[in-house]
Amino acid sequence: MNGLRIFIAAVLPAGAAFAGTVDFARDVQPILSANCYACHGPDESHRKAGLRLDVEAEAKRPYEDGVPVKPGDPAGSTALARILSQDPDEVMPPPKAHRVVTVEQREILSRWIAEGAPWGVHWAFEPVRRPEGTLDDQVRTGLVSKGLRMQPRASGEKLVRRLALDLTGLPPGADMVALAEGGLSESEYGGLVERLLGAPEFGEHWARMWLDLARYADTKGYEKDLGRSIWPYRDWVVGALNADMRLDQFTREQLAGDLLPGATESQIIATAFHRNTMTNDEGGTDDEEFRVAAVKDRVDTTLQVWMGLTMGCAKCHSHKYDPISIHDYYAVYAVFNQTEDADRGDDAPRLSKPTPDQSAASAAAATKVEEARTALARVSGRDPKSRGFEAADPDDPAEVSEWKKRLSAAREEQRRADAEILAIPVMRELPVAKHRKTRVHQRGNFLEPGAAVEPGVLAGFGPKPDGAVDRLKFADWLVSPANPLTPRVWANRVWARLFGTGIVETEEDFGAQGAAPSNRALLDWLAAEYRDGGWSLKHLLKTVVLSEAYRQESAVDKTVRSADPGNQLGSRGGRHRLPAEVIRDQALAVSGLLSSKRGGPSVMPPQPSGLWRSAYSGRQWVDAEGEDRYRRGLYTYLKRTTPYPSFLTFDAVSGEVCQIRRIRTNTPLQALVTLNDPVYLEAAGALGQWMRGQGESAGECVRRGMERALSRRVSMEEARPLIALYKDALEEMRRFPEQAAALVRTCRVQPESGKTASSAGGLGSGAAELAAAAVVANAVLNLDEFLTHP
Amino acid sequence: MTLTPELWIQRQLTRRHLLGGMGLGIGAMALRSFEGVARAETKPSVAGSTRAKRIIYLHMAGAPSQFETFENKPELAKLHLQDAPPSFLEGKRFAFIRGVPKVLAGQFRFGKHGQSGQEMSELLPHLSGVADKLCVLRGVHTDQFNHAPAQLFVQTGSARLGSPSMGSWVTYGLGSTNTDLPGFVVLLSGGKTPDGGKSLWGSGFLPSVYQGVQCRTEGDPVLYLGDPEGMSRGMRRRMLDALAEMNAAEHARSRDPETLTRVEQYELAYRMQVAVPEVMDISKEPKHVLEMYGAVPGGRAEAEAQSDPRAFYRGGDPTFANNCVLARRLLEAGVRFVQLYDWGWDHHGSSPGESIDETLPIKCHQTDRAIAGLLRDLEQRGMLEDTLVVWGGEFGRTPMMQNNVRSELKKGFVGRDHHPHAFTLWMAGGGVRPGISFGKTDEFGYYPVENPVSLRDIQATILHQLGLDPFRFSYAFQGLDQRLIGPAEDPRVLREILL
Repeated sequence: MNGLRIFIAAVLPAGAAFAGTVDFARDVQPILSANCYACHGPDESHRKAGLRLDVEAEAKRPYEDGVPVKPGDPAGSTALARILSQDPDEVMPPPKAHRVVTVEQREILSRWIAEGAPWGVHWAFEPVRRPEGTLDDQVRTGLVSKGLRMQPRASGEKLVRRLALDLTGLPPGADMVALAEGGLSESEYGGLVERLLGAPEFGEHWARMWLDLARYADTKGYEKDLGRSIWPYRDWVVGALNADMRLDQFTREQLAGDLLPGATESQIIATAFHRNTMTNDEGGTDDEEFRVAAVKDRVDTTLQVWMGLTMGCAKCHSHKYDPISIHDYYAVYAVFNQTEDADRGDDAPRLSKPTPDQSAASAAAATKVEEARTALARVSGRDPKSRGFEAADPDDPAEVSEWKKRLSAAREEQRRADAEILAIPVMRELPVAKHRKTRVHQRGNFLEPGAAVEPGVLAGFGPKPDGAVDRLKFADWLVSPANPLTPRVWANRVWARLFGTGIVETEEDFGAQGAAPSNRALLDWLAAEYRDGGWSLKHLLKTVVLSEAYRQESAVDKTVRSADPGNQLGSRGGRHRLPAEVIRDQALAVSGLLSSKRGGPSVMPPQPSGLWRSAYSGRQWVDAEGEDRYRRGLYTYLKRTTPYPSFLTFDAVSGEVCQIRRIRTNTPLQALVTLNDPVYLEAAGALGQWMRGQGESAGECVRRGMERALSRRVSMEEARPLIALYKDALEEMRRFPEQAAALVRTCRVQPESGKTASSAGGLGSGAAELAAAAVVANAVLNLDEFLTHP
Repeated sequence: MTLTPELWIQRQLTRRHLLGGMGLGIGAMALRSFEGVARAETKPSVAGSTRAKRIIYLHMAGAPSQFETFENKPELAKLHLQDAPPSFLEGKRFAFIRGVPKVLAGQFRFGKHGQSGQEMSELLPHLSGVADKLCVLRGVHTDQFNHAPAQLFVQTGSARLGSPSMGSWVTYGLGSTNTDLPGFVVLLSGGKTPDGGKSLWGSGFLPSVYQGVQCRTEGDPVLYLGDPEGMSRGMRRRMLDALAEMNAAEHARSRDPETLTRVEQYELAYRMQVAVPEVMDISKEPKHVLEMYGAVPGGRAEAEAQSDPRAFYRGGDPTFANNCVLARRLLEAGVRFVQLYDWGWDHHGSSPGESIDETLPIKCHQTDRAIAGLLRDLEQRGMLEDTLVVWGGEFGRTPMMQNNVRSELKKGFVGRDHHPHAFTLWMAGGGVRPGISFGKTDEFGYYPVENPVSLRDIQATILHQLGLDPFRFSYAFQGLDQRLIGPAEDPRVLREILL
């Protein structure tokens, strides 16, 4: 338990153990925010005693019983007196608030007031200024302050694998590994970076990051959770990332592509970003209620994704911690409240993209309908031109009935032909005359409208746009150079993907309640580099991966680990479990099964039967055969209420709401997935089969299998436990041929009878040999090193 | 694999770090087992009461009618098939009712049962026999009137997706007492997943290790639990040994404690492969116990094979009863939170298989004996006093029939719409006062008139009984100290119903 105490001392932000000046933003504001702002903060409706402590002038002005914060005079500061009070009727926060200001925190507050109570703006809201020096200088300075220094460079092999996994989500190709084995020169490393950034797999990998934020899924959510065709948006994201679309343009097209002058089809598809909201098809639901929910989701997602601001509270009352009033919230809501979509069953408005054949089929069906209708009118004695006019008796009842049948068949044909046509939900602005009037929803309830609000942006983050604010102007405001949050939030996000944790650990919250940056200069350096470097993601990534910080060794001793537990300072190369999709893609890649097919409708690789049992959806999961079984994880069909189970187990998202980061866990259910999920067994079978011909001896084959999976040289000594496992497994499989036959069947490999080790060299390809190789490959694909970012 | 003291401390540090308000996801996330990480370290959550050590929540998905089960309202019979009074309709929103519907009398006879004289309908003959064990809450209300949001509200405290379920909160706070089994297990019956989907047992913003593990009665009881055909148990063991040796070598290189955690997780997975099927095997139960529940090991519902189970209930589905036996076995083995969902209680009367007059009796028949058996069995084993049992739906049903279906009674088409303003939920065991009714509704059962109870009060009371302080048990996310009971201070622990 000693360790605990040492640790607590180490993580205290300041206080007795920390000499030096108290910093308002770093040390004081978090205490005030956590303990005082709920009743004495920005939210006017819950403010107690008319006192607010989030604004300097208010905190330092005299009230009836004195001055809450009197600079230089802790004893004369009434707020501090209340916090220090022993009287349960006096003490703040009151006991019923269930909040306690610790002894260390009281000490900080006293010292801060004694030091003159200097105020400051919340750090994240201050303008971004680029610090002097290089990226590595910033990292080094941060490390020195904690008594650390940079680690030496990781080996070439490790770097190549790290780089390939970070930039493309796939292991490096054999040629890249060969390059590393020969000792990697600076120019070779640079060339590799360029090559990986230029690969089409780059966009596929980084799209996953973006799709978590975009709450992309292949279904509509809620009870029925029926399918929708929104995958062209996913392909748009991949394309935009591969083309290195600037962030400002990426923002404009997704938030307001339809409002751009001369909007292209691609720009309209981009607006599906905000059509990823859920649609509720449950019987008896109020469409307006769920339209409102979707609009709120758009507001929350936009502000969280671009600015790291959380809006959970502001929709019911003014934000308790950040300067965002309920009025501000509904001003942004008003911007997003003018699109046509309204929780309709057909997800309208949609962009239709018929193929030429589909257009022809639809037209042909329409012609048939027309013909049948005309004929029916004729034979039933009704003039099709003058509706309702009854002519003489119908000529022939049989003929009438025949045409009626044909008409209904033609209509059915047209319905089917139209249903085939791809139709993507998109944003479309209502005509001005039909604009909705936006009012504040009191207590967040849309049935309790309050004061009317005009569309607007959040105050305090750069100049307000001229004229009425629409989605396009809002997008421009998000990426304007005066907005300090957008570049910080994005730079932090990119850093977190490469190092394992953000510089601001709470990637989702840059407000007063979020975590403080571990190295603010580093964050600002990256933010400035991104913004001033043309908002190019590839440029930012290149800058980071070429740094020494990125290239550090990841294996460190416990001194480094305990000084920087989450690697937030960049004290080493990132070592963390790979994301769900990368684990799967990697297994498929090293076994040679991975399909390189790109884009198109999502696919259904095998999953256990009986999972899709939603109450009303008749759609079934049908295990794909052939290439679609082995596509990249990005293309796996995502049903919101029943996500692909082995991804969920590895902390992937359900797409229900925007998820800024995945919390990594380490559970036994994950072990069961990589041991027993058919895709990993088929990968094991294929890798085992590949190993078979790789050398003269079984040991050599196993060693080569490990090398292929780990993208590095492996010695016979290192491979020894797996070689022993192979021999052991082979003996068992020979003894129990039906067991071997069953395993190769599960692993989908085809034994060649008679080709045993002795006759074919290497491992041989009889059932027993292949089964034993699959057992070993199954182990290889479960190695900690294999599952981990190197 | 033994832990050196150094590694142990490192792990405690990681745990501490995890819980110390520093947020999650920093580096190594050392979860040694299915046990939660919180327990001893999360002091703020520990409250005075720990009457319940475990909980079983029986959720009747679709929302059973209180007027045919617990709420005897003779006044409705007087107005039967007359236009509903305006007070029923003004300013109200309904899921399906439009215009002026007709009042619908309770369709079944009621009686008073036990020493306590609890009123229950003839549809619950077995439960009536254990009436003195129940604490019936008659004035429960919600603010949601569609299934998916309402179920989410009951189970996660939020009508929107993305919040942790009650079971996740509880296992986050208390962990499991069995290291070979998950702490939070979900069992389904009725042939379908409830409307709210898997989010009902999702971990939301809590780490995914706390999500409910759905145990299935078909196929692998836990997904991917079974080794592939051809992989013998001995072979798997030797493979894991080789893997552990390789990973130990990797740890010597990386010195990353996460690697050792992974080794342990593989060992736990291996133990689960034995422990889970064993606990799931109810055929080991003595015959008299199975009979008490009406369970049939291996029995299947006819509905299972059908595309729309509503039309095919014949009354012979033993799945719920089997799940009740299973639930008791899981609790006995140390699982903290067992959640049962039984689908098929949405009796609008709009199509065959979803009516009050024909389907509801079948659903009651499928569950009545099993629930009574569960309570008796728990008591006989001395477990009822520290096991909290909760039964309920996501809202109630209207005192009017649903008029968009039809305006006169027709056999097989008698139904009621969704009613959020008042419904019945009961608790038993776990330190809750037995044999009482709490709360009362007006003569039409429309509104509570005495002791109204919100679902947040229920959530607060459940956490309280498990020894977690509902007001202080929180998790920082999205700028708020998130709690199961929501941000407001109005929920309360229902002390009147506690022993």
